[in-house]
Amino acid sequence: MVLSTTVEDEAEGWASMTFEDYRALFLVTSLIGVLLVASPALSLVVSFSSGVEKFSELWLLGPTHMAGDYPFNVRVGEQYSFYLGLGNHMGGSVYYAVYVKFRNQTQPLPNATLSEPSSLPSLFEFRAFVSDSGTWEERVVFSVLEASRVENSSFVNHLLIDNRTVTVGSSVIWDVEKTGFFYQLFFELWIYDVTLHGFGFHNRFVGIWLNMTG
Amino acid sequence: MWASRLRSVSVMVLLFVLSLSPRLAVSASNIQEVATSAISAAEQSVAQAYEAVLDAERIGGNVSGLIVRLNDAADLLSEARMAFDARDFDEAIRFAGLSSEVGREVGDAAARVRVEANQALANRSWWFTGGSILGVLVVLSACLLGYPHFKRWYYRRLLKMKPRVGQA
Repeated sequence: MVLSTTVEDEAEGWASMTFEDYRALFLVTSLIGVLLVASPALSLVVSFSSGVEKFSELWLLGPTHMAGDYPFNVRVGEQYSFYLGLGNHMGGSVYYAVYVKFRNQTQPLPNATLSEPSSLPSLFEFRAFVSDSGTWEERVVFSVLEASRVENSSFVNHLLIDNRTVTVGSSVIWDVEKTGFFYQLFFELWIYDVTLHGFGFHNRFVGIWLNMTG
Repeated sequence: MWASRLRSVSVMVLLFVLSLSPRLAVSASNIQEVATSAISAAEQSVAQAYEAVLDAERIGGNVSGLIVRLNDAADLLSEARMAFDARDFDEAIRFAGLSSEVGREVGDAAARVRVEANQALANRSWWFTGGSILGVLVVLSACLLGYPHFKRWYYRRLLKMKPRVGQA
């Protein structure tokens, strides 16, 4: 009976705990031990979220493989190049499609807020399967095959992208403020959705501005 | 006389050409349709192969080699589309066929990887479950056997102490 009472011995330090406290500590330690040794089996039925954000990267690098020297002032018949790259951090292998589109300053870009792609038609597409944490990169070579200028308007009719002729049929009027005929070549990232058995817009796009100088 | 014969021969040649032209047009249209369906079949084959690869990957199969092959299939599909756009339908059909073939190969290989991964997962599950059960039994036994010792140890320490009540 006496033994169940609290015994104070501050010199020893440990004795301020009752037997019940020690028993609870013993039980908790035992439970932790049981959980530790059972963790391999538990891992088969309980999946823990890694908490890592899933995302994809889409980038453009200049011809020197740096974030600079992008083609800007373009002329008919001259070749220009840059690098298009993808990075997969989606937690598994992914089937990507990159749609290449061409617009003037008034035509629509994708709507990032509504996750909607641009309504413009795709001129060219790249497809790539990328492993988790893997990257894919390709050098893109393009040139303006056919363009014309009438007074203050410029027309681009055909482009050559990776040796493939594509019809553009886009026009723009002279930009008085920025002094140029500006077009944008942009790239939309789409991802294959296994539930839909098709591609869906992945809400990422990059582009370069081009000034038709001649 | 000669002029009349020449005229009649010309008319016959013209009629012959005219009778052929719809057939040629139909033939061109047919090959275009065949190319379109070949490309569509290749797309489906590649997509199915990708889904099979994902299934294998989800259960821990090593699919890095299959991803490389899938990219080969995608490149062939791209070649097929380029040929189609250039109205080279024969080449489009050829490239689409190759792409479908690679897609099918990858799909079959992914199914094999999936079976192997399933087997490995089953083995791992047995080891993990067996090891865990054994571990839990050891810990529980240690607790049950250790508890009386722990109790004795506690009381022994307690008896050695000088209660503060006695001093007061």
